[in-house]
Amino acid sequence: MLDGHLHLQTPEGITLPLTPAGPPKRALAWLLDFIFRLLLGLFMVFLINLPGFSGRLETGLMLLVAFLLLWAYPVLFEIYGSGMTPGKRIVGIQVVRDNGLPIGWREGVLRNLLRAADFLPMWYGLGLVAMLLNSDFRRLGDVLAGTLVVYRPQKKKTKAMPTGTPRELPFPLKPEEQHAILDFVERSGQLPPARRFELANLAEPLTACTGQASLQRLQDYAAGLTGNGHATRPDSQP
Amino acid sequence: MKQKLFEAHYAGLWQSIEASLGSDTPAADFPERYRALCHTLALARQRGYSPSLVARLSELALGAHRLLYGAPEKRELVLMRWVRRDFPRLVRAEWRVVLLSLGVFLFTAALVALAVYSNRDYAYSFSSAYELSHYESMYRDGLERFGERKADSDMLMFGFYIWNNVSICFRVFAGGVFFGLGSLLFVAFNGVHFGLIATWLTLNPETVNNFWSFVITHAALELTGLILAGAAGLRLGLAILKPGRLSRGASLRAAAGRILPMLLGAAIMTFLAAFIEAFWSSRADMPPLVKYMVGGLLWAAVLRYLLFAGRGES
Repeated sequence: MLDGHLHLQTPEGITLPLTPAGPPKRALAWLLDFIFRLLLGLFMVFLINLPGFSGRLETGLMLLVAFLLLWAYPVLFEIYGSGMTPGKRIVGIQVVRDNGLPIGWREGVLRNLLRAADFLPMWYGLGLVAMLLNSDFRRLGDVLAGTLVVYRPQKKKTKAMPTGTPRELPFPLKPEEQHAILDFVERSGQLPPARRFELANLAEPLTACTGQASLQRLQDYAAGLTGNGHATRPDSQP
Repeated sequence: MKQKLFEAHYAGLWQSIEASLGSDTPAADFPERYRALCHTLALARQRGYSPSLVARLSELALGAHRLLYGAPEKRELVLMRWVRRDFPRLVRAEWRVVLLSLGVFLFTAALVALAVYSNRDYAYSFSSAYELSHYESMYRDGLERFGERKADSDMLMFGFYIWNNVSICFRVFAGGVFFGLGSLLFVAFNGVHFGLIATWLTLNPETVNNFWSFVITHAALELTGLILAGAAGLRLGLAILKPGRLSRGASLRAAAGRILPMLLGAAIMTFLAAFIEAFWSSRADMPPLVKYMVGGLLWAAVLRYLLFAGRGES
């Protein structure tokens, strides 16, 4: 299927839904992290200035802080923040191993040290080229460490399906076709009316009517398929 | 089975899995419940139940999969074992790249040293007169570095050495993904620089003693760290050039996982070197003879460690 997902098989015979995140999202996360590091750095500079050390001691401490912010910040956050630096957390992406499991020290250190190579010649130019050449948007560090940056699963509320009167299908449908009907009925609330009716018209061979009537009929079938809906209405036909 | 019945039937299972996703270690009966969840997910897919249900179960399965298989293994005290045994063994196992890296460094350094020794004017083709005189002034008696230094300027230099040297160490390694060329260039560049400065300051009787007594101690760790980082980068390059029976990507990944401890060892050595350089090498109150002796001991210790530590243990 061409849906941008990676379908990873597990020993239990199911597939894990992971969606690799592309360069724009990751650039945004990096930018946010950059701002956080800058703010953190400024705050540390403020703290270092407080006790009134001499100038050279202050500069030495600042260089140490700069070192930690450059190299340790992404490593520590990714290892202890389940694959997310603060920027990635806000953007909603996450680093995982290429088998979908959380990363450990090895992966976290490798992929972040290789930033030095990905950053070349400037602003992650090489990393971008590597991402575009790779089917899973991996930069050099990701290839080396065997990691992926994927979208974090979002907490979705289960959508309430529009209720209808349960109705039997006029002829049997294949599971994929039943799935398509359910998918459409679930999403119909989010579509503009014109589009909704246009799609409902496509089901005319099944519903034998068009527009609002067809949509209503599809909702009835969906209710029949899932077992959802009003128990029985006196005027409903079996 | 209608979807509604199906949901009602398994709601308890799903909720119990959702509840246990919050904990760090899976409960004893978790694998069983996870397999039951996978079964319900497969059923929901195959029977064409509504996409939102399938999506919810997929998320649950993903979380449960990570909890079950991502649990960290319990290991012995890795760090001590690594220091005493694994790191020097790894360096010896990779002796080819280590020798290559060392050779490149020594070769370029010797070449430049010979050139400058035969004719001092060659020095100006590698560096500017200003920079050379700056180095000279740094190692002259009673100037900046060897004047009265206080703790605060030691701290300044410590911060600077960490920032500069350890970052260089990481870059030398990362340069290795360009077929090893980046690491080679970095190591060669450092060789040229070292050869030039060392020869230049040795030829000047005012600075020769100060220079060598200053560098000898921390060089034991710093140069070794640089050579090892270069060797780790070269191993990456070789993994791309000579993947053997693996694909180039797989070979690179395998080599990276294997060589990472060596890079970390190199980084730790560079870090320690920065410590020595800032707080010991710069001490003006130590006579050069003491520094030479301490430096010689450290060199012997580092070489002994890398050559002999961890042999014969199982």
